[in-house]
Amino acid sequence: MSPMAESATAAPPAPLLEMTGIDKSFPGVRALAGVDLVLHPGEVLAVVGENGAGKSTLMKILGGAYLPDSGRISLNGKETRILNPVDARRGGVAVIYQEFNLIPRMTVRENIFLGRERTRLGFFDRRSETDEVKRIFERIGVRLDPEAECGDLSVAQQQTVEIAKALSLDARIIVMDEPTAALTDQEVERLFEIIRDLKSNRIGVIYISHRLDEVFRIADTIMVLRDGQLVGARPVSQFNRQSVIEMMVGRRIENEFPKREAETGGERLVIRNLTRGTSVGGVSFSVRAGEILGLTGLVGSGRTELARLIFGADAADSGSISLDGRELRIRSPKDAISCGICLLTEDRKTQGLVLDHSVRDNFGLPNLSGFSTWGFVREREESEALAGFVEKLRIKIPHHEEVARNLSGGNQQKVVLAKWLQRDCKVIIFDEPTRGIDVGAKYEIYTLMNRLAEDGKCIIMISSELPEALGMSDRILVMRGGRIAGEIADVPCATQEQVMHMAVG
Amino acid sequence: MKKASAVLLVLVLTVSALTGCKKRETQPAPSAGPAAAKAPTGKVEGKIGISVLTLTNPFFIDIVKAVEDEAKKNGFEAIVTSSEFDPAKQRDQVKDFIVKKVNAIILTPADSKAVGTAIKEANEAGIPVFTADIASLAEDAKVVSHIATDNYAGGRQAAKAMMEALGNKGKVAVLDFPVVESVILRTRGFEDELKESKSPIVIVGKWNGKGVKDEGFKVAQDILTAHKELDGIFAINDPSALGAYAALEKAGRAGKVVLIGFDGQLEGKKAILEGKIYADPIQFPDLIGRTTVQTIMKYLDGAKVEPQILIPPSLYHKADAEKDPALSAK
Amino acid sequence: MAGNRGRMGAAGRRFIADYGMIFVLLLLCVYYSVATLNVQYPTGSEAARQVVAECRERLPSGDAALIVAHHGQDASDFAREAEAGLKAAGVEVAGVVLGDPSALRLELERLGAAGRAPKAILATREAAEWRLIRNIGEILPASSGVSVFCPESHRWPDFLKRNNLLAVADRIVVIAIVAIGMTMVIITAGIDLSVGSLIAFSAVMATRLIRDAAGAANASAAGMVLCCLAAIVACGIVGVFSGLMVTLFSVPPFIATLAMMLVASGTAYTLAAGQSIYEVPASIDRLGRGTSLFGLPNTLILMAVLYVVAHVMMSRTALGRYVYATGGNREAARLSGVPVRRVILFVYAVCGALAGLGGVVQTSQLQSGAPTYGLMYELYVIAAVVVGGTSLSGGQGKILGTLIGAFIIAVIQNGMNLTGVESYTQNIILGLVILAAVLLDKLKQRGWRLRGGESG
Repeated sequence: MSPMAESATAAPPAPLLEMTGIDKSFPGVRALAGVDLVLHPGEVLAVVGENGAGKSTLMKILGGAYLPDSGRISLNGKETRILNPVDARRGGVAVIYQEFNLIPRMTVRENIFLGRERTRLGFFDRRSETDEVKRIFERIGVRLDPEAECGDLSVAQQQTVEIAKALSLDARIIVMDEPTAALTDQEVERLFEIIRDLKSNRIGVIYISHRLDEVFRIADTIMVLRDGQLVGARPVSQFNRQSVIEMMVGRRIENEFPKREAETGGERLVIRNLTRGTSVGGVSFSVRAGEILGLTGLVGSGRTELARLIFGADAADSGSISLDGRELRIRSPKDAISCGICLLTEDRKTQGLVLDHSVRDNFGLPNLSGFSTWGFVREREESEALAGFVEKLRIKIPHHEEVARNLSGGNQQKVVLAKWLQRDCKVIIFDEPTRGIDVGAKYEIYTLMNRLAEDGKCIIMISSELPEALGMSDRILVMRGGRIAGEIADVPCATQEQVMHMAVG
Repeated sequence: MKKASAVLLVLVLTVSALTGCKKRETQPAPSAGPAAAKAPTGKVEGKIGISVLTLTNPFFIDIVKAVEDEAKKNGFEAIVTSSEFDPAKQRDQVKDFIVKKVNAIILTPADSKAVGTAIKEANEAGIPVFTADIASLAEDAKVVSHIATDNYAGGRQAAKAMMEALGNKGKVAVLDFPVVESVILRTRGFEDELKESKSPIVIVGKWNGKGVKDEGFKVAQDILTAHKELDGIFAINDPSALGAYAALEKAGRAGKVVLIGFDGQLEGKKAILEGKIYADPIQFPDLIGRTTVQTIMKYLDGAKVEPQILIPPSLYHKADAEKDPALSAK
Repeated sequence: MAGNRGRMGAAGRRFIADYGMIFVLLLLCVYYSVATLNVQYPTGSEAARQVVAECRERLPSGDAALIVAHHGQDASDFAREAEAGLKAAGVEVAGVVLGDPSALRLELERLGAAGRAPKAILATREAAEWRLIRNIGEILPASSGVSVFCPESHRWPDFLKRNNLLAVADRIVVIAIVAIGMTMVIITAGIDLSVGSLIAFSAVMATRLIRDAAGAANASAAGMVLCCLAAIVACGIVGVFSGLMVTLFSVPPFIATLAMMLVASGTAYTLAAGQSIYEVPASIDRLGRGTSLFGLPNTLILMAVLYVVAHVMMSRTALGRYVYATGGNREAARLSGVPVRRVILFVYAVCGALAGLGGVVQTSQLQSGAPTYGLMYELYVIAAVVVGGTSLSGGQGKILGTLIGAFIIAVIQNGMNLTGVESYTQNIILGLVILAAVLLDKLKQRGWRLRGGESG
């Protein structure tokens, strides 16, 4: 597709990295079964697949976090055993995880040289470190103060620090796990420029992403994993979007967004003048029965903050919320839940689930009042209800006592969904419901949202992905600076440019 | 998992082996009758359990050493424990003595009242209880004999030393520790002697120095701040006297305020030699320990023993310190 | 081993994961059983029957026998039964001596002077250990020909004697009761350092109330119960206060409860004026030293009941689930509608009240209240909780695990006293055993691999 991709694949030199026949099992799950991977210098290899397909496991083996059960790894044609992260680093492999490994209260320079500070006569040689950092930043065309504290940097800037750190370690192979998940469009462009610079420096990049449009723009080769097996690895020119999705899911998908008969009723949820400090200012809107209201805007425009106000997670300074004509007094999430409002948070791991507890405990948490008599939990009933959802939502778990941490992102989201569906709420707020979720699971969640709307519920969907907002919503509100910047009533005729225009102002 | 089951297996085997042992050994051993009475436990004649207040104070260490020594001479074994000021712990230790069937128990109670239930349990098990240094004040808890320094007489001696050092005038403070009976007696003796000899010395107050160096130091600092014209301090034991001395040094009043201690432990004797402490009524912990064991032996022989045996202290001045072989040896 | 694994099944595996420490406890028990194997002998009427039978067989007829017993209930049973037995066998009873060696000496001298010196002495084992009897020929040459009959011995561990097992349970009761509350607090990712001081505070407050308000040594049972309840409630209120500091002002639990520890301890010393308060009815020891059902100590029954209630609450009720969820992920729990603040207040209140109950039990055991009680107990309590498998980072832990942890500590302490380990060495060993127990638990969680977790 891109001219570079063809030049890179035209004359394959000796591979930088060859992984052959990698097997890895966890108790009860075969995570990887005989997976092969080849990476050449200056190549961008995109690894795609649904959550749980084995991408992360494969990268953790490469990074030395896991040991493979069997299989071989060769670096620069030499067979190597990677037993721990230090071995990986020595072999020139750098992995940039989604959660960065930077210490917020240290400077850029200190983070880059953490654990291998340069010294001269026993003292820190700060100047030599600064020179090196500047040299690297120049090489990848970044302007950043080496003495800035990492905690003060934007996500994109922190990512550049991670890349610079990898380069300062003389990494020949850089693995990026969902690098664009938290970046704005401009920042994504900057990242792509950096990646192109890395290519020209003969560095191999392994790029893991759910965002197929990005994959098609930057990758030379696409490798598709499904259920721990390699489905195919081919130059990007031999794929198109549809074929990649079908390989990932293993079946044909007609449409990314399922259609629904929109039958919206009267107004149910009415928000008046909701305000909290500077983050949300005087927001008023309403949601009708059976309506999916899209709420979009740039990161920091106040969407999540608004949702938290409605849910009582934060206290509002002023404003009113009424449901079915009755004004609600919401001072805590407990109040909101008993009024029939629920919130599926954006961050499942820190806000949606108690990760170290079982699926059953997580499912039961908001529903215990319904499952108990005299404070005693009727565990049988609870288990039966959960079993119903496991089947209906196709949640893949070995048993109800499985710890939530061990589930894939999609299954975790389904558990969160199940716990709220059991409550049978009238208003359901989805905050980035499909973030970090693979295509197949996304489709299931969309279908479910439609079904809920058809039951006459009010759905508020916060989404940063414009295609999703446009594809799913009946109506879209765009937020900017804590206020509603505009409304799009006629969604089928709207374009992404129109929405962006409102969001940027 | 595998290892866990292995551990389980080993445990089951051990337990079953043990119960097997038990069955064999419950059968009567051929040691009954008159012969058995002679020496049922081999060479050791018997056991004495001792639980002292604390082993952080050399005074109790001296008692314990003397008890161990004297017990050995009589062919007895001493089991030494320390309550470290916790009456509940002391009760546990007594319970363990009962299980071990010691022939006698020596206690220096961690709390003169709370020790009662422990003594009663020993009474019920038929084990005689002796107290050393600190008496039990619990009612209906039977103690055979109490062996201690005559603390009241010691307090009077301290007052005499104070009058002598101050020329029978001035203001003095008392570093007290009123939780312990023996200390209460010392303070009372001190006060009574001053009163009865109609001394013009004024006691400006009594403060709780808890009988330890660090607390004595802290409290003495406050006393010195509050009373600028203080002439003397009576500390109820050597550690608190030495704590007070540190406070005097810090306030630049060492040598100007007369310090009287109590006990005559090695550290205290040294301080007397160096002139830090004016004088101590000294106790004889080794004599207490020795006398206690001898009393136990008399009791076990069937002889009558006195319910209270008081060992008089004696005043110890710098002149005594200069002649003391224990100090010149160092 | 494979068959074993299959048979154990999922439930067994979960049991081992939750309560694996029980094997450490068993191991300790086995060790101390072997280490304290000792000569034992029967007591009371059983001993009397044995001795009388022996005496009938070996004592020439017509000889008179003297019965000697020490103080105590068992001893008087022995004397009564032995006297009856000898009379039934037609042996002449020269006399019965109950009490101490001097009484026996007097009696022997009296009988000797009257020319009725006994030919045999039937003694309890304790009395036979008196030097007077052992060396009777040397001390009283006149009685040198006497034969002594005493109960015969067998070998059995001191540790496994009923008395000792009860003593083990009794010594840990206070710590175990307080550890219930501490487990809940630690499961919510908190800590309560004030429990030791609250034990002292509660003991002092209860005894002071009894002394000043309920009529001192003449207080009625109801009055005592009320005073003790007041002390427990006061400790619960202190707990609520710590909880408020933690929830409303986000004071770290370590700091909030450290402050309360000093406040409670200072208040206890003030209320008691530094003295122990003993002007209470002797019958206050009903709870701490009395027995009921099957001769089990009341404290043990109280502890068992509290553990059952707490276990059911934590594993079967919504409240218990809320406690776990609050510790596992406070924000996620709050967003799921869990009233996290109230849950935290609840656990600190329970912890405070149970510390208060611990103080009341200790008061009852020692028949007095003193501000020195509970010294360093918070550390033993926390140790019991941690050894019992509860994670200090919150969200994980089992109430019954804590009970096992408490018993591990009690068995070590008791065992070391029985085997005569010196008291300072005891602390070293206790510390190392706690560390070893927790390490073992971590190793088990990792599947017995030495390397694992973080590397580099």
